[in-house]
Amino acid sequence: MNPTTTLRHSADPEAAQALFARRVVVHLNEGAAQVQPDVAERLRFAREQALARARAQRSVAAMTVEPVGGGVSALRWGGNGRNSSPLWVKIGSVMPLIVLVCGLLLIRHWHAQAEIDAAAEIDAALLADDLPPSAYSDPGFSEFLKSPRD
Amino acid sequence: MASDLELSDFLKSVEKRAFKRTVFAVRDDDAALDIVQDAMIRLAEKYADRPPGELPLIFQRILSNATMDWFRRQKVRNAAVRNFSDFESADPEQEFDLLETLGAVEGSMASESASDAVARAQILHLIEAEVAELPARQREAFLLRYWEELDVAETAAVMGCSEGSVKTHCSRAVHALAKALQAKGIAP
Repeated sequence: MNPTTTLRHSADPEAAQALFARRVVVHLNEGAAQVQPDVAERLRFAREQALARARAQRSVAAMTVEPVGGGVSALRWGGNGRNSSPLWVKIGSVMPLIVLVCGLLLIRHWHAQAEIDAAAEIDAALLADDLPPSAYSDPGFSEFLKSPRD
Repeated sequence: MASDLELSDFLKSVEKRAFKRTVFAVRDDDAALDIVQDAMIRLAEKYADRPPGELPLIFQRILSNATMDWFRRQKVRNAAVRNFSDFESADPEQEFDLLETLGAVEGSMASESASDAVARAQILHLIEAEVAELPARQREAFLLRYWEELDVAETAAVMGCSEGSVKTHCSRAVHALAKALQAKGIAP
């Protein structure tokens, strides 16, 4: 039975619309299939460009993971990194920061110790000298030190 | 995630329709090709990791946005405003009956199989011209709904409007096409 005949008596306007639209679409598909060769070529080129971008995106995404795996391998003293877990990745990424902070603390401690040692050396020299420490607070002794020797 | 082959097959299946749909909108082959290429690249760069089943809807949305971007760049504000505000039909004849049109062209359909290639090409050209003459929103709804075979909800998502609006646009597009083609004695 002709669908048009059926739909002529149908009370469903949406079905009638769909029927008409399908007929139009048949022609539109025919027109789309008959695009000019240069247009088809440009579409093919555009498609290949898009696919190349997609491949590039995938390779970039893969490369952003690889160096982290390599770093973890180094931390594992020669491990191949195939069993790298997110925990190891995190530890590997914060390890340089921990080393840096520890180094700064060590340098600070070394400087403080050096200052204490220098002060202790001066104190020891003052106490071991024949001159009593109270002499350094005497204004006359200061003047004596500043006066030129004969 | 869509594989390279799946993405290629999808783009191959949709590229010509996308081109024609864009030509209907911008009426310029070169601009349409640029827009389709732009949409393909956007899809490949940002959504290639999506499942293949999601690609059609995403691509249609990207293509619609790329077409809009083109209109913005071209500053064709008058055309855009005219097309996007054209929710109301200019035709006062509300009692136009699509079913009568379908019935009236039934006889001519019987002889269509006997028509030659030239006549078919002419009919195709006229149908494409009438589709291109539809208001932009009606045409977009019609093509997405019936040519790209999206359902009403998907069409509404791509067009950024309600499902009711999609139905209205489709209905008006079908009636406008039917009437215009009938006036030219064309049976689709």
